[in-house]
Amino acid sequence: MTRWSAWQPWLTTLARLALVAVWFTAGWPKLLDTEGTVRSVRAFELLPEAMVRPFAYGLPMLELILGALFLIGLGTRLAALLTAALMVMFTFGIASAWARGLAIDCGCFGNTGASVPDPVPGYIKDILRDLGFLALAAFILRRPTSRLSLDARLGLTPIGATS
Amino acid sequence: MTNARTAKSAREKAAELRAEAAKAEARRRTLTITGALVAVVAVIVGAFVLIKTAADNSNGTTSAASSTPANLIQGGYLAGNSTAKVTIEFYEDFMCPACKQAEDDNATQLGAWTKDGTAKVIYHPVAILDRYSQGTEYSTRAANAAAAVINSSPNAFLEFHRLLYANQPAENTPGLTDDQLIQYAVQAGADKAVVEPAVTNQTFKAWTRTATDAFSKAGFTGTPTIVVNGTKVESYAAGAVKAAVDAAAKK
Repeated sequence: MTRWSAWQPWLTTLARLALVAVWFTAGWPKLLDTEGTVRSVRAFELLPEAMVRPFAYGLPMLELILGALFLIGLGTRLAALLTAALMVMFTFGIASAWARGLAIDCGCFGNTGASVPDPVPGYIKDILRDLGFLALAAFILRRPTSRLSLDARLGLTPIGATS
Repeated sequence: MTNARTAKSAREKAAELRAEAAKAEARRRTLTITGALVAVVAVIVGAFVLIKTAADNSNGTTSAASSTPANLIQGGYLAGNSTAKVTIEFYEDFMCPACKQAEDDNATQLGAWTKDGTAKVIYHPVAILDRYSQGTEYSTRAANAAAAVINSSPNAFLEFHRLLYANQPAENTPGLTDDQLIQYAVQAGADKAVVEPAVTNQTFKAWTRTATDAFSKAGFTGTPTIVVNGTKVESYAAGAVKAAVDAAAKK
């Protein structure tokens, strides 16, 4: 119990840092290659054309902001909630592309522009990866208290408090 | 005894109340800060989307391109007789190694079909691999150069196209320089005086974006994409393309 209460804030910090890496490596290439992101979003054939560009413009920015929030540890719970929601959305999107027999590259970490003759192994890998990230977000949601965070500094999630 | 107990429970009660008040205060602060964060995130993302959309509308990405190359036929460069029964559309990104492979595999039979009238080929340069040229946007520059050649010296296009594959840069390199693009265009027979400024100023950059967007809107996601009479050929191997052309010619 005491060991856990000492370790848990560090574990949450680790989970936060992992998601910092995820969001920065996902958001940055998408932001740099806007047209590629537009094409990736369109390739899922889920959004009406009028929504494709706004979504493709907004998503990388949101991803980078989430990365920044995890980095400074501000609004950790909110960031974890939004991360979980995005991961559920991505998983649904990829599963849906698979179910509809589309052969696409998810563009998760930027658009590769490659033809994908056999997309299924990629879909499985992408879904498992996103579920892993979802698990990290779920852990943070349950245990938002973390070391090296503004939340703790501001007394929003005081370390040692039982929540 | 009774008094002492009452006093103690009163103290405890006061402490409890204070703790509860502190908890409520912490909750209120968390809610306030979370609410403020939600608003800030929404404003940043929303403003970014609006600015990008406004920029699109002013530079014509989503509307018709301001500068469209002359001599385009069905949106690309036509090789062969426009009345040929079979239409082969070849979507290419000059940075794409598979496109070079497709060119190497198919150049001979495409040339034969356009010559004997079996088929016509429409070449569509697109730019989907800009992120593989270390920021120089080689895919866009090469497609722009191809558009420049079609615009001023269409007869030089096929040779220019061949030269770009013969000298294809590796992915994740800066790609050919503008000067090299101009040099190959001139070597292919293009008019230097017209091609040079079009390459240097990227006159057809907006057209390249529009053409690439049209490619994506048509449901194509990768290059090379070879379409025979409206149907995408699943492989770019010579045999698969020949089978599709033979089938289309028989219909």
